[in-house]
Amino acid sequence: MNALTLKNITIPGRLEKVSLELPAGALVGLVGPNGAGKSTLLQVAAGLLPVAHDAACWSGRPIPKIAIMERGRCTAWVPQEAHFEFGFTVRAVVQQGRYAHGDDETGVDAALTRFDLTGLARRPVNQLSGGERQRVMLARAYVTEAPLQLWDEPLAPLDPRHGLKVLALAAELKRAGGTVIMSLHDLRVAYYLDQVAVLSQGRLQAVGRPHDVLTAKLLHDVFGVKAEFVSSLILKLP
Amino acid sequence: MVNHPKLQPWVLPALVLVLLGLAFVSLTWGELQLNGAQLWAGLRGQDELAATVIWQLRLPRLITGMLVGAALASGGLVMQAYFRNSLASPDLLGVSAGAAAGAVSAIVFGWTLVAIWVLPLAAVAGAVVATIGVLMLAKRGASSERLLLAGVALNALLGAVTSYQLSHGVALWERNAQLLFWLLGGLEDRSWLHVMAALPIVAAAALLWPLGRPMDLLSLGEHEAQSLGVDVRGLRRRMLVLATVLAATATAVAGVVGFVGLVVPHCLRLLVGPEHRRLVPLCILGGAVFVLACDLLGRMTGNLRLGIVTALVGGPFFLWLLRKRA
Repeated sequence: MNALTLKNITIPGRLEKVSLELPAGALVGLVGPNGAGKSTLLQVAAGLLPVAHDAACWSGRPIPKIAIMERGRCTAWVPQEAHFEFGFTVRAVVQQGRYAHGDDETGVDAALTRFDLTGLARRPVNQLSGGERQRVMLARAYVTEAPLQLWDEPLAPLDPRHGLKVLALAAELKRAGGTVIMSLHDLRVAYYLDQVAVLSQGRLQAVGRPHDVLTAKLLHDVFGVKAEFVSSLILKLP
Repeated sequence: MVNHPKLQPWVLPALVLVLLGLAFVSLTWGELQLNGAQLWAGLRGQDELAATVIWQLRLPRLITGMLVGAALASGGLVMQAYFRNSLASPDLLGVSAGAAAGAVSAIVFGWTLVAIWVLPLAAVAGAVVATIGVLMLAKRGASSERLLLAGVALNALLGAVTSYQLSHGVALWERNAQLLFWLLGGLEDRSWLHVMAALPIVAAAALLWPLGRPMDLLSLGEHEAQSLGVDVRGLRRRMLVLATVLAATATAVAGVVGFVGLVVPHCLRLLVGPEHRRLVPLCILGGAVFVLACDLLGRMTGNLRLGIVTALVGGPFFLWLLRKRA
């Protein structure tokens, strides 16, 4: 059963006939130049934009047929940038991830530890830095225990260590049978994922294993860059 | 409860105590000064003069004032969560002006003579028009500038409707005196009829109660809330209806009373944090306290009307808030 199925999705001006099938237990990178439609595609996948009735399915079930509360247990979506008007504490925001689970506190403290947020737990979110806010949003997505995780540029504001921790977490979720889709700009990171999907001007150009897809020709055609494969600095968690 | 560092557990009992104290002063203070024993006798109808003053004048005024304060403060809270902006409130966005324009038009056209419930209904209709206007001019999550400019435009536009009704046929002195009432906002001569007209506030406030938790999630973003399992469309619709009914009903019974919906939620947020499950009941209490305090202040300083006192207190507060955000 596919974790996510998108059939012929068209959002005028943003996505053009995008079809995509992703299996359960996959770590997928979504890449493409600015304005290619990555965020829109993630929103469609999260069931946040209206599409034709059975055009978007989770585990074979059309999204509109799933009760809204249940959807909160099926997928988690992390926006590219979070804006906080009100000063909820870090812990309160992370705990909101449990809303669809009867608003309990399961896993909240573990998630805070996991994202190095324990020391910030009582701080208001509207006083955090960009990277800290991003960790709060990821922690909130993590406590939903949703098998389908959709993260919009999760790594962009993070420091190298937290970036690696997030990648390690994604790999862990995948091993547990989950599917993680994240949009990325760092193609070197995309190269380490199971699959990449390449978007350009609202169209899906290619999907597949990174070294099959991210060829020098595609990188030139889609991104307008010249690719060179050399040895480079590899960062790992100790 | 670990979620909040600055949760002040004394706020709720303190508000209840202050409200009781204000209610006592409000019932005993006036041209006829009463003491506790006289108040008790009056309430039970044993002292005829005291009974008349309490039952015909002071009690309806007290209850109307409490309901109006509760409605304006909780209505402001809902609008702030809806627009994700702590500067949103019924008066700044023009919803109160819409309700006033509706009520004033109903009086001018003579509809209020048909039945007593026409006036609140006309106020709700005017408020609905204003709400639709705000929604068209400022999207949810719009910047403060855009939201406040939309409010400025609507206040001017709906104020012009009221001014037209007022200037049109100046000869009817008695009618114009009634119209001026809406423009100034006050609790003078409130009767049990006004208390009855304000009863929808109790229903709306009760319906607001269970929306506290989903409002927390919505106030951090609608897509975010939806993805976490909140029925955002249904929630937003209910919030909008309740906020409009609260603001319109308050305006129908007491005229335009400004800044309550801005000052009360903001102060309470500073004390107990932004969680709406706590803020909804506290705003209902806090709004009643604020309006009663302002009304008493006005009565004790030479019968200043309520709307003038809340503006004198709220105006500087609003400017301070703007400065703090800039």
